[in-house]
Amino acid sequence: MSTISTHLRNFKEPTKEQQTHLFFALPPEKPIGEKDVELEKMECQASLVLSGEEVFAGKLHLLPPYLAFCSLDRKSARFTIPLSTIRRVERLNARAGVYALSLSLYHGMKFVIHITSLRPTADLFCSLLRDALKVELQRGRMKLVKSFVKTCYSEVLVASTENEEKEAEAAKTDDNSSSSESSYLGGLGLKFKFPGDPKKLREASKTKLWTTYLKVHGRNLTLFRYAQCTRLVQVGLPNRIRGEMWETLSGSLYLRYENPGYYERILKENEGRTNTATEEIEKDLHRSLPEYSAYQSEEGIASLRRVLQAYSFKNPETGYCQAMNILAAAILIYMSEEQAFWLLEVICDRLLPGYYSPSMHGTLLDQRVFEALVHRCLPILYDHFQHVDVQLSVASLPWFLSLFINSMPMVFAFRIIDCFFCMGPRVLFQVGLAILKINGEDLLDIQDDGGFIQLMREYFSKLGESAHPESSDPRARAITRFQELLLVSFREFAVISDDTIVSERRKYRSEIVNSIESFSKRSAIRNLKTLARFTKEQAGLIYDALFKAICVIPPPATAFPTPALLTTKDGGEERPETRIGLRTFKVFLSEICTWARDEKVVTNGVSSRIERDVADHELVDRLFFFWDTSFRGALSLQDLVNGLDGVMFNDLMENIEWFFNLHDKNKDGYLTKDEVLTLSESLLFIFRYEVGDAYLGAVSRFMSNAFEYGDALLPRPDDAEPNDDSTPPHIESNQPYMNLATFRMVVLADEILESFFETDFNSTFKLEPVPLDLPSSNPSVLGSLWSNIATDDNKKFFNIVTDQIGRTIGKHQIYHRPAIGKITSLEEPKARESLLTPTMRHSTSQASLDNKASESSTNLATASVSTSSSLLTVDTPIPKSKISPAEYSPMPSMLQAAANAAAYMERTPFAIDDAKDGDEDTDDESGVEDDGVMDEVDAFLEEHDTGLTDADRELAKDLINAEPV
Amino acid sequence: MADGASGSAERSVQVKLVLLGEAAVGKSSVVLRFVSNEFQANKEPTIGAAFLTQKCRLEDRVLRYEIWDTAGQERFHSLAPMYYRNAQAAVVVYDVTKASSLEKAKTWVKELQRQANPNIVIALAGNKVDLVQPSSTPAVASAAPESEDEADDATATPGEAPASGEVESLRQVPREEAEAYAQEAGLLFFETSAKTGEGVVELFTEIAKKIPIDQILASTRGGAGRPGAAGARAGAQEGGVNLEENAAKGKDSCNC
Ligand SMILES: Nc1nc2c(ncn2[C@@H]2O[C@H](COP(=O)(O)OP(=O)(O)O)[C@@H](O)[C@H]2O)c(=O)[nH]1
Ligand SMILES: [Mg+2]
Repeated sequence: MSTISTHLRNFKEPTKEQQTHLFFALPPEKPIGEKDVELEKMECQASLVLSGEEVFAGKLHLLPPYLAFCSLDRKSARFTIPLSTIRRVERLNARAGVYALSLSLYHGMKFVIHITSLRPTADLFCSLLRDALKVELQRGRMKLVKSFVKTCYSEVLVASTENEEKEAEAAKTDDNSSSSESSYLGGLGLKFKFPGDPKKLREASKTKLWTTYLKVHGRNLTLFRYAQCTRLVQVGLPNRIRGEMWETLSGSLYLRYENPGYYERILKENEGRTNTATEEIEKDLHRSLPEYSAYQSEEGIASLRRVLQAYSFKNPETGYCQAMNILAAAILIYMSEEQAFWLLEVICDRLLPGYYSPSMHGTLLDQRVFEALVHRCLPILYDHFQHVDVQLSVASLPWFLSLFINSMPMVFAFRIIDCFFCMGPRVLFQVGLAILKINGEDLLDIQDDGGFIQLMREYFSKLGESAHPESSDPRARAITRFQELLLVSFREFAVISDDTIVSERRKYRSEIVNSIESFSKRSAIRNLKTLARFTKEQAGLIYDALFKAICVIPPPATAFPTPALLTTKDGGEERPETRIGLRTFKVFLSEICTWARDEKVVTNGVSSRIERDVADHELVDRLFFFWDTSFRGALSLQDLVNGLDGVMFNDLMENIEWFFNLHDKNKDGYLTKDEVLTLSESLLFIFRYEVGDAYLGAVSRFMSNAFEYGDALLPRPDDAEPNDDSTPPHIESNQPYMNLATFRMVVLADEILESFFETDFNSTFKLEPVPLDLPSSNPSVLGSLWSNIATDDNKKFFNIVTDQIGRTIGKHQIYHRPAIGKITSLEEPKARESLLTPTMRHSTSQASLDNKASESSTNLATASVSTSSSLLTVDTPIPKSKISPAEYSPMPSMLQAAANAAAYMERTPFAIDDAKDGDEDTDDESGVEDDGVMDEVDAFLEEHDTGLTDADRELAKDLINAEPV
Repeated sequence: MADGASGSAERSVQVKLVLLGEAAVGKSSVVLRFVSNEFQANKEPTIGAAFLTQKCRLEDRVLRYEIWDTAGQERFHSLAPMYYRNAQAAVVVYDVTKASSLEKAKTWVKELQRQANPNIVIALAGNKVDLVQPSSTPAVASAAPESEDEADDATATPGEAPASGEVESLRQVPREEAEAYAQEAGLLFFETSAKTGEGVVELFTEIAKKIPIDQILASTRGGAGRPGAAGARAGAQEGGVNLEENAAKGKDSCNC
């Protein structure tokens, strides 16, 4: 609700390599650096040759530690096998011109691959394969296969038939047949019975078919998938092998294989931990398939709890989302907790990405895709829905979110899930379309969402009935509505391929992201306790600036206590809320406040652009802590709104007070001397890019007046005679020194400061639309070229190139945008008449300044004296006409002007924190580092502009036209 | 059940009602009590929203409630507009034993008032009131709803003071506080118990009384579908799960 998430913006479409990875259902790759060895990947043309002379042409991929193959049609033959299951590789020296490899696998299968790529490719592939195999051997992976496959029921299944065969011989029973019998993993169904009637499901014959298949074509780690495999899946997996086949088909098996013991470990490490996710899990445990007997027992509930918790511990960002309880409960019927844990991981991470994330963007996206497919495939129905204003998602959302388990009888949902794991997410779309198509006529009669839901409910409740009860053909009568559904799904909607889904998702992603983001923006604003004096639109602009800042510098997730820690005694837990730290705040403020950013306008004759940097100054930090009224070290949207409200609507007096309070750290109503200096510095910071020295003069006068009045108005300990000529009492620099009234008086003594606090200061805060992409520059010369420059990198490159061109043609200019920009010409500062008598001024200020100077280690007095000796060789004031923006560099001139101002007043200037100035100086230099040298050249060229030959200009023009492409 | 929507509209008025509120405050339980007059601990999970219907007799008319019971988990929040669009009534539920659930209820009310059908009738229901009542009163309370005020007042029956004092401490939302808020926000207000049935029927009956039935009848006969259908179309043109505001104010966020 009040959490702001920018992660949707980080989405990247998978690369081709990642797509291959996804296709072969491989575990996500470990990040570089975490890998022990970097092994090369490779693919080559190859044919899988079966003993029956059947040949599948396709591609062989070496994806260490896996070897994978897929036929060209992507469905006749494929495998993904861990290299560790390869027991032998032989180069067959058969007929010339054929590069053949024979591989034997752990399960005793042997197969032949012809590498049909060119010879050097084939050689390279083989040597890489050899290296990869060696690494697996060294890692000791080969030895692990045996114990791992024992956890698979398929081993028992195949062994049992082998035993039957061998029974006649009555000899040599493998001793592991009995041990493996007891060690294979299985689900709650083993104890609590599987849903459905085994006879009706024809378990026996299905099991037999699968046993044969698994014996011949490999199983678990070594399964080869041919078209027959898919067909067998489509008629429904037998209950006992179902869990393992889900693992194998989805690839979660590889995760379990690669991470032995992980599941137990993560549970152990997080034992007893509670957080929002675990609380939400608790609420749902008893409403997850409650009709299934295991979930009426503590045993089943405990399993479910552990799996969901383990997932939430592993994936804290996703945590727990309703509907995952149903998935987990469903798969736990067929598989052990560990298997279910990894399968859940594959579902949430790969098969249904983003479905269960906090924004549920994946769900929303696929609903949008589904609707687009309905529009395309069932246009009449789509039009009817539009006409009567029925939303497809009211019915289809749970189909996708809980894989139909919540919508139709479990036995049928499980058959769809069989296909889903075998063929991927497109199955959900195909089945969804088929449901609508089959019910098309009735659906054209519905008038509203409710009618739609009811019709669907009725249809699902009758899935077990005959699809053609009136038919005279007994075989047609025997076809159930569910079988009809699958037939329509895979026959009539065969056009819906994996690629369709990928490209449709790509098409609608940004639309969905936009609507999610604007939805959370609206709720964030609606949920503000107060908008203060802002309109909803203005609050929206504040939100945008915050959003942008979070995009640039995401708030550290770890900085916030876990929700469990926020739970207050009364049981009411605080809602998670996005709060930003100082670094993010700086970006935020730079969006809104002109002095919180450094803006350089760069003109190079080709284009003009504004380069914006986040300014760094103690004033910004001060503001951050000033607004952090609840002392959390982080600001929420509400804090920002309140803070801005406190500063943006002020009149003259309020602004002065605000500025005073900002610098009164201990809030005792007094500024210390140090604080007066800091305040002056804040002013200097705000004025740093103003043209001319008027503002600097004002600050300078402010400082002298401040100490003058401050000293004069100090309460005398002994007698109350203000006009006493004796030296004022000594005040430590950190003691209360100046109250608001005095401060106000000092400010109002100066025309420039008065107008600053009256209007200019407010206008440095501007709520403007925040462009989240790069600011579009107005192309002066280039016209349409800009539109071709899409990426940031290109733009940067372009800017560098055009800058160089600009320099060669002498058009390159940089100047800093001032925060106020009111004074555009250089004027001499006007001092107002002092309010104090001249005598007063003389004695008090001098005293104050003297002891000030002795206290601080460095001071402006010495600094500016030394600078003035070097800088003031140029006569004061700074030559007006000659100032060229290209040369304009604010800090030196600022110092110079301060020195000038000091000179005017014939007094020693005041100490200010010199180290800071030095910092900014170097900052500034580093900011224009690259340009520094070139600017000199620019200046030179500018002087000699006339000297530029036509040929040179021509060259520059050519560069413009040629380079950026 | 299979009567056409248009046919049933002639005889009874169809009212779309949505239930909103934090997870586990008892939305589904309240609906179940209203629809089947029962209370069950383990129920079907709510994914997105559960859909139920129930008739409600009101003087000479019959209302047919189409009830959308939404999932309460925070992340389903963005799906809620799909269910409350075109709704004529909403019940926002909180749990009287959990203060934070009232805060959540308030945000739902705000959202409904800004984004839902402008004429929507909203009721605030403080559920699980059985937990904060002396153990003997529920039977009385459900028999005679008028006595609920007394039941709330733990000190009313001195004989029961120790026991009732104990249960009363579970209460985190004082009736007066919620009632005052409801009044201020213009909501109907009830304290309910799905467990005992207290206040549930009253809740739905009072809503029924406030629904502008004649208006609905007129508009149902007038156009295709129900009231609001035409208006919502603008925002839902591209359909899908529509997160946009009524008037789909649109794409004010940009890409980066
Ligand atoms: N004592 C009591 N418990 C209730 C009441 N209503 C619901 N519950 C319990 O609160 C829990 C959550 O209820 P449920 O209806 O699923 O909440 P929902 O998430 O808002 O739909 C369940 O365990 C219910 O048994 C009530 O009126 N009194
Ligand atoms: Mg519910």
